Amino acid sequence: MAEILQRYDVIVIGAGLAGMRAALEVDPRLSCAVISKVYPVRSHSVAAQGGINAALDPEDNWKDHAFDTIKGSDYLADQDAAELMCEDAPRVVYEMEHWGTFFSRRPDGRIAQRSFGGQGYPRACYAADKTGRALYQTLFEQSVRRNITVLKEFFVMSLATVEDQVAGVVCLEIRTGAVVGIAAKAVIFATGGAGMLYLRTTNPYINTGDGMAIAYRAGVALKDMEFVQFHPTTLPGMNVLITEGARGEGAYLYNRDHERFMVNYAEKLMEVAPRDIVSRAIETEINQGRGFDGGYVLLDLRHLGENVIKHRLSEIYDFAITYKGINPVQEPVPVQPGQHYMMGGIATNKYAETTLVGFYAAGECAAVSVHGANRLGANSLLDTLVFGRWAGIQASKFVQSNPGVEFPTEALRTQSALIRELKSRHGAEPYGPIRRALRETMTTKVGTFRDAERLRQALDAIEELEERYQRAGIHDRGDIFNYDLIGFIETGFLIDLGKVVTTGALMRQESRGAHARTDYPHRDDQKFLIHYLFSPNSRGQLSKTEEPVVITHYEPKERKY
Amino acid sequence: MSEDIVLSIYRGDKSGGEEVRYTVPLTPGMVVLDAVHYVQAHEAQDLAVRWNCKAAHCGSCGAEINGRPKLLCKTRLDDYQGQVVHIQPMQTFPIIKDLVSDVSWNYETAKKIPAFQLSQSAPLQMQQFDVDRVQEFHHCIECFLCQDTCHVLRDHDAKDQYFGPRFMVKIAEFEMHPRETGDRVPLLAKQAGLDMCNVTKCCTEVCPQHIRITDNAIIPLKERVADQYWDPLRALFRRKKTTTPTAPDSAPTIRG
Repeated sequence: MAEILQRYDVIVIGAGLAGMRAALEVDPRLSCAVISKVYPVRSHSVAAQGGINAALDPEDNWKDHAFDTIKGSDYLADQDAAELMCEDAPRVVYEMEHWGTFFSRRPDGRIAQRSFGGQGYPRACYAADKTGRALYQTLFEQSVRRNITVLKEFFVMSLATVEDQVAGVVCLEIRTGAVVGIAAKAVIFATGGAGMLYLRTTNPYINTGDGMAIAYRAGVALKDMEFVQFHPTTLPGMNVLITEGARGEGAYLYNRDHERFMVNYAEKLMEVAPRDIVSRAIETEINQGRGFDGGYVLLDLRHLGENVIKHRLSEIYDFAITYKGINPVQEPVPVQPGQHYMMGGIATNKYAETTLVGFYAAGECAAVSVHGANRLGANSLLDTLVFGRWAGIQASKFVQSNPGVEFPTEALRTQSALIRELKSRHGAEPYGPIRRALRETMTTKVGTFRDAERLRQALDAIEELEERYQRAGIHDRGDIFNYDLIGFIETGFLIDLGKVVTTGALMRQESRGAHARTDYPHRDDQKFLIHYLFSPNSRGQLSKTEEPVVITHYEPKERKY
Repeated sequence: MSEDIVLSIYRGDKSGGEEVRYTVPLTPGMVVLDAVHYVQAHEAQDLAVRWNCKAAHCGSCGAEINGRPKLLCKTRLDDYQGQVVHIQPMQTFPIIKDLVSDVSWNYETAKKIPAFQLSQSAPLQMQQFDVDRVQEFHHCIECFLCQDTCHVLRDHDAKDQYFGPRFMVKIAEFEMHPRETGDRVPLLAKQAGLDMCNVTKCCTEVCPQHIRITDNAIIPLKERVADQYWDPLRALFRRKKTTTPTAPDSAPTIRG
């Protein structure tokens, strides 16, 4: 097993929207590489369907967008960051249009915008129901034009640091099995979410929270991790996402009594209430026996007509037919909530900076925090492009004034030794059942509705799984495309994150946004209008610190829709 | 009692290999990728296969199922009841291991296409019917199944003469943008090798995103090349000018 060292000024980990946007903003005079676990166009950004919010219309105002975002966050968003994002949004949309993204149009030729959950104005710009893909293809083309180096199929295992400064990363070249050290003066993480913590998730298999866990292990705090978004509408079974755009276009939700039950939960906004509210409503209907056998309700698109379904919601049409044999033009589609997004992540300020010198984070893996306790639909694509850009700007500035630190070669040796040791373990338990048990625990005990008893049970279960994991092993001892090895390492990341999410959820004795405690059903601003930050102490145990929420213009009020 | 299905999966690398049979219990609605996962979890932890999104978004899991290029995640096993399901890696690209092939040629080819260039700054005014045409091309997930099935690339290995259907879609996306100023017709006529395609529509048939590659991308591009290089009236007009685009070097036509 070879050990190699490469050097760059700036490296970006993750080649999704946030990572690519960051790389494009890095000063072209600096050497820069993007490192991705998969081929770049495979990143999960391409699966985003619904849209990207921006107050484009003269009748709309970015301040209203900021207010909706803050209210949607159940007042946990840092308001200065939300304002920065929303004010920048129109520029972002026009920049993407200028680079080649084809947004759908209004009859007068301007960019079309549709309603999205929790928005007081139709401000989600979209490219049919393939907005993420359209934006991603544009950024990928720009990266080709700029000749940005992409290290494809490199799996990052750890951050290399010297005291409080970043020195680079250690990764595994999947194709060869070589352990590669990549020295860099600045490192940007844009590694996405951690949906693999849950059984029911819209996330792909690569979203194992690598970046969050790696940063955490390197001593960078994770913020707001107890807030996990469950998307209301996923297809039961594989939990493929049914875009919020469907409800934005006017689709209805029905229970088994053929009642539009959202009237009991959000009288005014109905189906386009924010995601946390709709998910809880669906779960409540199912729990109280008004769902269908198999745990789902129905999403009815039929009244939208064949033309809208086949053109503006073509992906849903295709999925329902392929995976369920249901034609949404003629029949309603079964839906159930599934894990969708991590509001929490690596703690950053509004310029993507972390507490580790030279280390930046953007996109889903970061918590700025603009989404607070609940993210609004069509705000995450915006988040990736706004804060990805800031990460690129700040990293470039940093490198221009800082010579960096020497890469500690022991970081490389530690990871090589770990892999060698793992491959030499014999007769160990496979990690597969441990990972599955973790995902089951998180789904049943740390899901939409939470309470102290089940959270404690979850924490005990995770600690037990952690012990089993320490002794577990792998079967494949080869070098080339050893997914068994990668799966093992990812499972370790997931266990760390599971502990943080559950601990945060247990400590936060209130209900706010996506975090709903049945034993503490109300929001408690006196005690909990704060961010929780978790980092490991010197003994490797969780230690918690608190940070106040930044309030600028919007006083916390009761959140009703 | 659940039914079983037999998968015969190619195991090997560039030095050679063979299909190995695995028996998997069938569950309702199961797709081929689920069965491959089952094999990976229970019988062959060292099976190399790319997969990611499970929902035909990411384009990772392209392979050949009973000889047809398909996405593992979008192919239902009930289409194969009573049959052995043979799974091979894509044949047009070099194999790395098992079902993983080296598709890097495609990324190198992408670099040869001149970048997007606008005639004016955004915000733009465009009509939905202009957008519809191009949004169809945006559906491409770059699974490269069209490249895999294209006989120019597959049977004749003419990767040095033709960019393949994927990149005709990409070029069409740029060329049909109403405010784009780049001219890729000379590229199509020469280096990109558009005339190598003899419109057998195999690419359209295998596209999991249902993009009408031949009808909506390749044929209109062929018309543009013909218009610019072979229109007799234009040729007459060109003779009087000094800056004539010269006819493409005649490339051998391949019959599929």
